[in-house]
Amino acid sequence: MTATDRGTAAVPAVAAARRRRGRRATQRSLAGSIVLWVLLGLGAVFILLPLVWMLSTAFKQPDDAFAVPPHWLSKPTGANFSELLTGEFRKYVLNSLLVSVVTTVIALAFGIPAGYAFARTRIRGGKFIQAWFVLAYVIPPVIFIIPLYIIYQHAHLLDSYTGLVLAYETGILPFTVWLMRAYMSEVPRELDEAAWIDGCSKLGALWRVVLPTVLPGITTVGLMVGLSAWGEYFGAVILTGPKTQTAPVAVNSYVGLLSSDWSKLAAAGVVVIVPALLATVFVQRGFARGLSFGAVKQ
Amino acid sequence: MSNDLSADPVPLSRGETRGEPRQRVRGPARGLLARLDRHFFALAVLPSFLAVFLVTVLPFLAGLGLSFSSISSTHDGIFPLTLHNYSRIAGDDQAKTVLRNTFEYAGAAVLLEVVLGVLLAVLLSQKSRIMPGFRVVYLLPLTAASVVAATSWGALLNTSQGWINYWLGLLHLGQPNWLASTKLAMPSVVITELWSGVPVVALLVLAALLGAPQDPIEAAMVDGATAWQRFRYVTLPAVRPVIALAALLRVVAAFQQFALFQILTGGGPGLSTTVLNYYVYKQAFAFNNIGYGAALATLMVGLMAIPLGLLFAASRRGRA
Repeated sequence: MTATDRGTAAVPAVAAARRRRGRRATQRSLAGSIVLWVLLGLGAVFILLPLVWMLSTAFKQPDDAFAVPPHWLSKPTGANFSELLTGEFRKYVLNSLLVSVVTTVIALAFGIPAGYAFARTRIRGGKFIQAWFVLAYVIPPVIFIIPLYIIYQHAHLLDSYTGLVLAYETGILPFTVWLMRAYMSEVPRELDEAAWIDGCSKLGALWRVVLPTVLPGITTVGLMVGLSAWGEYFGAVILTGPKTQTAPVAVNSYVGLLSSDWSKLAAAGVVVIVPALLATVFVQRGFARGLSFGAVKQ
Repeated sequence: MSNDLSADPVPLSRGETRGEPRQRVRGPARGLLARLDRHFFALAVLPSFLAVFLVTVLPFLAGLGLSFSSISSTHDGIFPLTLHNYSRIAGDDQAKTVLRNTFEYAGAAVLLEVVLGVLLAVLLSQKSRIMPGFRVVYLLPLTAASVVAATSWGALLNTSQGWINYWLGLLHLGQPNWLASTKLAMPSVVITELWSGVPVVALLVLAALLGAPQDPIEAAMVDGATAWQRFRYVTLPAVRPVIALAALLRVVAAFQQFALFQILTGGGPGLSTTVLNYYVYKQAFAFNNIGYGAALATLMVGLMAIPLGLLFAASRRGRA
């Protein structure tokens, strides 16, 4: 809604059109309302179903988790969580945390200056470089993972944090540069120029003027990147081992052919999802905007 | 103006074309710091450029190279380099099935995600006091790691102990073998893909709908357009680039889907849910046919170029 379209009701023709329809344009008929809420309700049930299963099963006794018909939280227990967070699983969560934080910090440290440069200048081959950055994000990770796996075998980087972070940067660093460029392009360049005239170096202008302006964007990008590293599964399955296994890989280890432990599985899932949930709700305004940036904005 | 990486590029403002005279802005004048500052933009790109070269360009080229080799558990070393992996794909009946599965999966998933996502975005764009709450509900799958989606849907769809079959049983609708039947396994995985995909499309399109100018819609109303006509001829064209972008993101996601297949079905029963990405994983890491896996991965990159190129062009169209 821009300021210009708020006053349209004052235009006689618009008011007349609304009167012709016998009600305000924004109102719905009763039938329309019923259809709207039924559809939204059905969709919400579909969305919430696995989350409700996970949350309720996480607090069940191991035997109750398989009960048919489902036991609705008879004898709820926190034992699943306390067992998980005192046992091996805690190490895996810390692994995930370490890898996603380091991946994000590196991506931002490299991506912010590069995004700024791409937003402000044209360098020779810049178009090609940027096109490759987009491609690197789109190309299936498996084409990178296969050679990395071979290289890691020889460089002893399998089951190492370094190897995992490097592998994650293949997709994440180009993505970060691409999004940062989009955010930086929104900052009017008069700001930088004013800073230069006042005697700032280019780095000083970036640090003192541009960064504070795009801080919301940096937060959004940082969280998106952090979340994708936090929940990453494919690379982690292939490149981690007993020492560096991440939480998502560990979640799946509670599913066995013979001895699935659904209550543990659900509790582990909750541990993986809750930090991500809090982070997303925290930046939800920027989230969709961040997703559509860079491709739709020039 | 020279436009060399090492030279000092004159900043161009948006809309300014090369060759227009422009006042050079003065920075600090002398010394090493000043020299560094003059090349600031080149220096700012350099670390990322080198890092991206190291972690993407080199592995990509290495992957291409491996696709001509025969590295496997029985053969060490990458030489000789021949086209044998590619001729093997041509004669691999499994690969044909896998390709068909891949396009069925990606096609069905992306089509349904776009249609349902746009519908959901229109519903969520309606004005109501409780709508923000609904929007948050549909944001939830975006936070769920693929493992969480896969394991919880796996439990729900479990034939004998899953909630879904329990409820179907109450309604006397039978208790299908969701993930263990050749007919139903693929649709089941598509449904779980929709769980994470539809909200992404919906929220992207919703953002575009809420940001779209209202004047043309009001104008169409004045001209007596029905609600459907307003949507079809005014709203939809305005958000088309965003829909194309959302479709592009979901094509990428569908081709790269791994957790759902590995956890829900393991590619089975038979080959019925083995898609290309999972097949590459199996060949390279389960059967140790690294060279063959790399060739299949290269094929996958080539295959993705077509839908992505089309969608990218569509998302670029209609922009100022």
